[in-house]
Amino acid sequence: MAARVLVQCVRSLARPSLRLCSGNPAVRAAVLPSVATHRPLSFAADSRRTRWLGQSQIPSVGALCRQYSDLPPLTLGNIEDRVMYVLKLYDKISPEKLLTSSHFMKDLGLDSLDQVEIIMAMEDEFGFEIPDSDAEKLMTPEEIVQYIADKKDVYE
Amino acid sequence: MANPLRGEVIKLYKTLLYLGREYPKGPIYFRERLKSAFMKNKDVSDPEKIKQLVAKGDYVIKELEALYFLRKYRAMKKRYYEPEK
Repeated sequence: MAARVLVQCVRSLARPSLRLCSGNPAVRAAVLPSVATHRPLSFAADSRRTRWLGQSQIPSVGALCRQYSDLPPLTLGNIEDRVMYVLKLYDKISPEKLLTSSHFMKDLGLDSLDQVEIIMAMEDEFGFEIPDSDAEKLMTPEEIVQYIADKKDVYE
Repeated sequence: MANPLRGEVIKLYKTLLYLGREYPKGPIYFRERLKSAFMKNKDVSDPEKIKQLVAKGDYVIKELEALYFLRKYRAMKKRYYEPEK
């Protein structure tokens, strides 16, 4: 009985964050079936993780191990997703024009100060500092992804 | 582009942007003002003049720090002391 009450609590806690993280029904559909097999705590962790992952590989990673508050392992794919997500939120870039290969200054019409802002946003997103000497070389989303992958030792 | 002072200017911009996140009128307001202030001087190429402007920027940093300190002090005072009659 107590277990059931606990499950209810955790679900009601977890749900708002789920709704916040994405309007994407596919993600919700992917997570919800796993509720039955998971213990309540790991489910809560799961719903947090979806925020970072988008829709890729939720069931496989989530089912195998608990990661508590740790983030899922970085891969080139999810680094790229996060980089593009941050860039789309930036108000001076129009999301339609943005490609992984577009040059910030030549293609998107930004100036060097905007580029500094982008790099700062990346520092916030990935939680480490990018020195100025490296920062000024990062001019396309591709290069940013590559740089972060190098720094974080991600190779696949 | 290859100006040796470029790094310093970028650093200043970064620091100010970072400080501006807590600006009372909001980071977006601050960012726009900061950007226009930098853009106003984008054609300056004389090293002396640039140094002078960077010094002005450093002064603004100090002002901002003082502003935040004062704000914190006021908030503490409001919470911990009786209002003056």
